[in-house]
Amino acid sequence: MNLQVVFCNYHTSRVAVREKLAFTSPDHLQEAYRELQEAFPDSELVVLSTCNRVEVYAAHADDRYPSQEQLAQFFAEFHHIPVSDFFDDLLAEQGEEAVRHLFRVASSVDSMVLGESQIVNQVKDAYRIAKDNNSCGILTNTLFQRAIKVSSRVRTETKLSEGRVSVASVAVGDFGKSIFERFDDKTVLIIGAGEMAEETLRYLKEEGARKIIVVNRSTERAEMLAMNWGGEVSPWDQLDECLIKADIVVSTTGATQPVITEERYRAIRKASGDKPVFLLDLGAPRDISASVGDIDDNIFLYNIDDLEATCDLNRQQRSREVKKANTIIEEETALFMQELHHRETGPVVQRLRSQWHETREEELRRLFNKMPHLAEEDREQIENSVGRIINKLLHPPLETLREESQSGTPEGLVTALKKLFHIQD
Amino acid sequence: MANVSVFCFLASYLVSGVLEGYRLRGKSTINRVVLKGFALAGLIAHTFYLFNRAQQTNLPPLLSSTHDWLLVLAWLVIVLYIFLTLFDPELAIGLFLIPIVLALVSSAYFLQQSPNQLVSQEILIKEARHGWAMLHASLLVLGMAGGLIALVLGMMYLTQHRRLRQKQKMTEGMSLPSLGRIARLNWWSIVVSVPLLTLGMAVGVGLGLSSQQGNSPLSFTDPVIVAYGIAWLVMMGFFVWLLTSSRSQGRQIASLSIWTFSFLIVSVVVLQIISEKLEISVHAPAQTAISVESSIKETPQ
Repeated sequence: MNLQVVFCNYHTSRVAVREKLAFTSPDHLQEAYRELQEAFPDSELVVLSTCNRVEVYAAHADDRYPSQEQLAQFFAEFHHIPVSDFFDDLLAEQGEEAVRHLFRVASSVDSMVLGESQIVNQVKDAYRIAKDNNSCGILTNTLFQRAIKVSSRVRTETKLSEGRVSVASVAVGDFGKSIFERFDDKTVLIIGAGEMAEETLRYLKEEGARKIIVVNRSTERAEMLAMNWGGEVSPWDQLDECLIKADIVVSTTGATQPVITEERYRAIRKASGDKPVFLLDLGAPRDISASVGDIDDNIFLYNIDDLEATCDLNRQQRSREVKKANTIIEEETALFMQELHHRETGPVVQRLRSQWHETREEELRRLFNKMPHLAEEDREQIENSVGRIINKLLHPPLETLREESQSGTPEGLVTALKKLFHIQD
Repeated sequence: MANVSVFCFLASYLVSGVLEGYRLRGKSTINRVVLKGFALAGLIAHTFYLFNRAQQTNLPPLLSSTHDWLLVLAWLVIVLYIFLTLFDPELAIGLFLIPIVLALVSSAYFLQQSPNQLVSQEILIKEARHGWAMLHASLLVLGMAGGLIALVLGMMYLTQHRRLRQKQKMTEGMSLPSLGRIARLNWWSIVVSVPLLTLGMAVGVGLGLSSQQGNSPLSFTDPVIVAYGIAWLVMMGFFVWLLTSSRSQGRQIASLSIWTFSFLIVSVVVLQIISEKLEISVHAPAQTAISVESSIKETPQ
């Protein structure tokens, strides 16, 4: 039984290529499975398509799994793009390398954001969809189930997924949640309506933030953001009033000068009192003067650099865990391959066993016919004894076969067993 | 369990304290289990010790001596610690609570175990006053436990506040609640503990006044009583400020909690030790051990 993965990912190809090769919707993927099954009816196939990678895992009882060229041709025909546009970006791994590759992918060792948790769900989804499309078989079932287990082991035994690594998640998770006990009674003010503001809002909403005010010079963009996140829009000239009300301020304007100066914020603090405020300055250049943080003890001001510093520390911590994760992946790959090779000797072992046991049955029948006076108890003793002899005789060759499976399929031994004991295919 | 000594549970708590410090180096389930095991073992030994003491003196530990009273206080704190860590194993409260427990148990270790003069002079053991004396000691110990919690919460607040102001990543193993939650709990612990201490003081004053008609009147110039009085005045000043000021002044509340309750605890414990050495207070142990049981019997009704 053989396995291959043909893939392109963020290491090997540009986003423009990955976009062209991706399967963007469930219907699209279903159609792909239909065409793949038509083209390669005897192969087990699983497609993993995310924004960072497009991978096709193919398994076949012998070496007749689809080649890299055949799969490239499939991609070209399916997506209506010339093979030459992407062929150099496609890589392929076979056998043990393919297993290792999937284990690395599922464990998030190969992810752009090391240790991110989304990938294992994407692997699970890919496997589920393949099963729904009747595209899985013994090998892909075993492989993907094991990959999910390996991912879980890596997550449990290492700190690869610990610590937040995006600016917005660090801002809300590491700092915001350490300031406020709850977010549902807090007023969130968004100044500017950039992507970063939207991402931060997502984390704030997850924590329960309900009251959101968006202030932006362009009302159109502010309205869109407010509509998406259930907020309200306030005109730019009412920024001070909004700042007085706000407990959390996220500023992401493209202004070249600080929007919130120390003087302006001192006046705001006089009106707002000394309640704790969480100021996130995600603008570059900065929107909030650094000295605003020194006005009083209840102002918690963070800019991009402060948050990036924490992200970097968390990334470093995750990187230190890669070695441990790789050790687990190596162990699991070796174990999987050993089981796979051993499984390949299964039919020969089974036939050898049944052949010997048939001989045992035949000889015992002959013996019992010659000795009809034997009591039931004696017959049982003889049966057990002969059974034990057969098992003891079978044990050394089967054990050797198992040991040899550790380093690959023991073709020589299997052939020798077949010849020695006249085992038919 | 009859041979349990202070050293037994002091050693257990010390190991727990060291392991609490060790968790700053990283998460470890084994460390956490061993740590809780030692704290629990210490608590069991501590409970047996207090039970044995009550058997020996025929009095509840709260009444017999300051040694026992401090151990009851430490017992309450350690029960709270185990209870909180069972609910939130990540919470780094042990780093703050265990040193306090160690300080209380160590202080008790150096105090004499014989019943204090209040008992020997029959001020508290007269049956009619026994209930009031018990109430006095209970309110004080509960109020003091509340004060210790406020002190610990104050320390936690300042640690968390410092981290947030310095924009530092959370140290591994140093998981603390949000400033909002600490401030709320701190406010409540003060609001509960100060009235308890005040009531305890009031009952004490009542006991002192009623003792004036007996053979052994209690002096209000007793150094321990004077120290309690001063600490209570400081506390009341803080309490009034707390109720009239804005709740958002979390940092000031935390700092003042630390100062006020440290002053209260240190002054009471230190004065107790000094008065014991100089024998200048009725809260100090009697020179000769007496049989409390016989005193009760002999006290005229």
